[in-house]
Amino acid sequence: MNELFRNTLSPGQWAILAAVPPAILALYFLKLRRQPLEVPSTYLWSKTIEDLRVNSLWQRLRQSILLFLQLLLVALAILALLRPGWQGTDLTGQRLVFVIDNSASMSTEDAGDAGDASRLDVAKAKVEGLLDQMDRSMSAMILSFAAEPRVVQQFTSNVRLLKERLATIRPTAEATDLTGALELASGLANPAGLSVQEGAPEVEVVDPEPATLFILSDGKFADVDGFALGNLEPVYVPLGSRETGNLAITNLTSRVSETVPGARTVFLQVANYSANAADAVVELRLDGRVREAQRLSIEPGGLAGASFSLDTPGGALEATLSQVTLDKLDDRLALDDRAAIGLNDPEGGRVLLISPGNIAVEQALATARTERLGLIDSQPPSILKTAEHQRLAAAGAFDLIVYDRCVPDELPRANTVFIGAVPPGERWAPKVDAEAVADDTSEASVVAPQIIDWNRAHPLLANAELGNFDIVESRVVRSPVGGATLIDSAEGPLAAIAPRDAFEDVVIGFAILVEEDGRVQRNTEWINRHSFPTFWLNTLEYFLRDTSGNAQSVAAGQTIEITPTDPTATAVTIVGPGGVREELTRRGAQPFVWKAGSTLGVYRVLEAGEETQRFGVNLLNRVESDVRLSVGTPDDEQQAAIASVRIGNIEVAASAGAAPARQELWKPLLVAALALLAIEWWVYHRRVAL
Amino acid sequence: MLLPPDLVAQLERLELVTRKVFRGRMKGERRSQRKGQSVEFADFRNYVPGDDLRALDWNLYARLDKLIIKLFLEEEDLHFYTLIDASPSMDFGEPTKLEHAKQLAAALGYVGLVRADRIRVETLGGAQSPVLRGRSSLPRMLEYLDGIEPEETATLEEGVRGFCQRNHGRGVVVLISDLMDKRGYESALRYLVAQRMDVYVIQVLSQEEIAPEVVGDLRLVDCEDADEAEVTITAPLLARYQQTLEAFTAGAQHYCNRRGMAYLLASNETPVKDLVGSYLRRGGLVR
Repeated sequence: MNELFRNTLSPGQWAILAAVPPAILALYFLKLRRQPLEVPSTYLWSKTIEDLRVNSLWQRLRQSILLFLQLLLVALAILALLRPGWQGTDLTGQRLVFVIDNSASMSTEDAGDAGDASRLDVAKAKVEGLLDQMDRSMSAMILSFAAEPRVVQQFTSNVRLLKERLATIRPTAEATDLTGALELASGLANPAGLSVQEGAPEVEVVDPEPATLFILSDGKFADVDGFALGNLEPVYVPLGSRETGNLAITNLTSRVSETVPGARTVFLQVANYSANAADAVVELRLDGRVREAQRLSIEPGGLAGASFSLDTPGGALEATLSQVTLDKLDDRLALDDRAAIGLNDPEGGRVLLISPGNIAVEQALATARTERLGLIDSQPPSILKTAEHQRLAAAGAFDLIVYDRCVPDELPRANTVFIGAVPPGERWAPKVDAEAVADDTSEASVVAPQIIDWNRAHPLLANAELGNFDIVESRVVRSPVGGATLIDSAEGPLAAIAPRDAFEDVVIGFAILVEEDGRVQRNTEWINRHSFPTFWLNTLEYFLRDTSGNAQSVAAGQTIEITPTDPTATAVTIVGPGGVREELTRRGAQPFVWKAGSTLGVYRVLEAGEETQRFGVNLLNRVESDVRLSVGTPDDEQQAAIASVRIGNIEVAASAGAAPARQELWKPLLVAALALLAIEWWVYHRRVAL
Repeated sequence: MLLPPDLVAQLERLELVTRKVFRGRMKGERRSQRKGQSVEFADFRNYVPGDDLRALDWNLYARLDKLIIKLFLEEEDLHFYTLIDASPSMDFGEPTKLEHAKQLAAALGYVGLVRADRIRVETLGGAQSPVLRGRSSLPRMLEYLDGIEPEETATLEEGVRGFCQRNHGRGVVVLISDLMDKRGYESALRYLVAQRMDVYVIQVLSQEEIAPEVVGDLRLVDCEDADEAEVTITAPLLARYQQTLEAFTAGAQHYCNRRGMAYLLASNETPVKDLVGSYLRRGGLVR
């Protein structure tokens, strides 16, 4: 398809077109049936024409200027229909798959001829150029991918439709994942066409057709392992430049100060993805007002952090890199020049202790530090039967429920700690093996187990020394799949933690206090050790982490659950940075689910018209922020070639200067033909002297 | 109407002029080389027997006692020929060139008749009017002119040659033609020169020949020999036609002037009154 001309008409249409010049000639000569006119004498006229005939060929040309203009017009039209052009890319195969990256880094404005168009725009332009070169027998499919792939247009040979759909691809602020797109492309390009008939072998109905896979991306994704391209012929078209510098905010967090009530510490990280050292000025704004600014010196390729102290209860916190800094470094990606988080009022977690009476745990939960973390409520086990409690528990009104020697009928939508009890349901049920049945013990309980190890790496047991107490009796806790053992004894695990949906359950196999013969007795010496209050403090910090007013940041494309402050709320409104409102409703106790779009900034959650929460949607992705095209390994002979992409076991080299759109001439030709038509008209009407 | 009254009034004051003095056949109003019986004194000579006794100067005889004859200048008539081209090509224009030529011939003829010259109108085809003399012959001349139709096929050369063979006498000849002859006008004019006549050539062209107003792709048909010329009218072609026309008329004028002939180009749209009153006067044909 790289030839000079491309045929656009069928032979029949060509035949019709070929009849036009003879028709013009015929009409011309028909028209030349001259009008007879009687004159006194042709003497002078003949003399006049004789003079003109001296240089007759040119004179004849002059006389038939209209004919020549018309023939030229037709010639131009024919030439335009032949679509002369050059520099096209060979499109092989009958089916094309265009996979276009629209992740955050594709918004970098360093592509194109002038180097100031966004990579995505250039990718779309290149695809459009390739679509122009499609034959009618070819079909193409367009996919876009960021964090998730999307089918933009299924296979079709309708170039107009493909172009229309191509234009709908919008830049996102998401990360890049090529695997999903490849799987989608492979699945759609080679649909499994198996015909299964009874008593007959499986027959492939659809022969797998080869397809060319164009990947238009800047390569900000990991190599794809364990994926076979099959009959897809990959072409990697890299976009962007290797030298593009970028200054990015790669982290922005805030923590409520533990020492000073009401104060917060904001931590900020700025990365310099360029070849030059940079002095970055970071401005911190709270609800639009500048609160702090700091200058950071960052080495090329380095990171720099800054922390700020703020004494504010809540608001929208925005960090921006100053424009001067960005201009100096020629920053081409705007998405990561700012980051925003929502500071929520520290409201404290809601902790419910359901216990028949446990002075040890109550006291451990009543220290000054634990009180700052959350509101602790203590209730007897009888509350488990009340409808009010069941509704609240199911609605997720609590952050943590401690069940001391009691078990709810149904696990609540909250984190739980079970003391001396096992959650209901199959998951935590001890393995019923033949031996246990033989022992005639319904529960695998052990007497005086010896603690031999505990999970020091887990935050719950941070700074806790557990080797120095005895336990009278405990049951062996077997965590379900995905869980982790916290305390291990010679007889088996005594405590374990396991995730459940968005929550985690901690099960401690032994009771702290037991009631025996009406007296309360200790079941363990642990309550006398330092590690006991430490464990409970860890527990509160671990589970109430997200509710302590520490800001959370959401990545674009991520789906989050929003827990309303009012557990009975059935609708919340989310107000985006531009004031766009989005209503979320739910039925029953389901959490509100919201998927972050690509508009970055602070989102506010309104409940019944009142702002209750804020959260920020940010890029904060180092891979996406490093917009320089990765360079191939130095031992490549090519000077600093752009790194190839590995898909499965295939290295897909970056096609240098790949996929140039065909330079077409038919538009200027048509314009010239129109101009010619105008000239012809003028000549015809004015009888121009030549 | 060949001679409108105002034109007649103007013509009354004119007379035909010849640059050469010819011998007339009859007594006219022109001075002749011969001595004659006019009132103008010319010379004296001795009486010889046979002389008219009425010419004796009796006063001198009384004084000198010699018989002396008094001679007077003789006045003669002028031979004036009008040669009209009556070919079909003259039948163009508004008025037609032939009409124009007739009017011109009538005007000149009238002048000649009034001055007692000998007038004869001929066409190239050979038709000739009787010799006309005197004011009383005017109706006959006009009648003859009216009868000329543009139907003659003789070429210019043939016509002129025939004219010369028919008329040996000297005199003034006015050729009124468009000179559009594919064989050229030169040979024809040469006959006139050889006749040693006082020749006036009046080339009459119609306005459509001088400035043609035609457009489009045309096949021009010659009205005389059906010759065809295919032309596509363009501005340059018209310009070139003008050049050709100018070259043609200039060539004719040059040819005539070098051979002692007077040449005059007349458009059919120029009134005869103006033509006679100014152009011909300037050309020296009338006075």
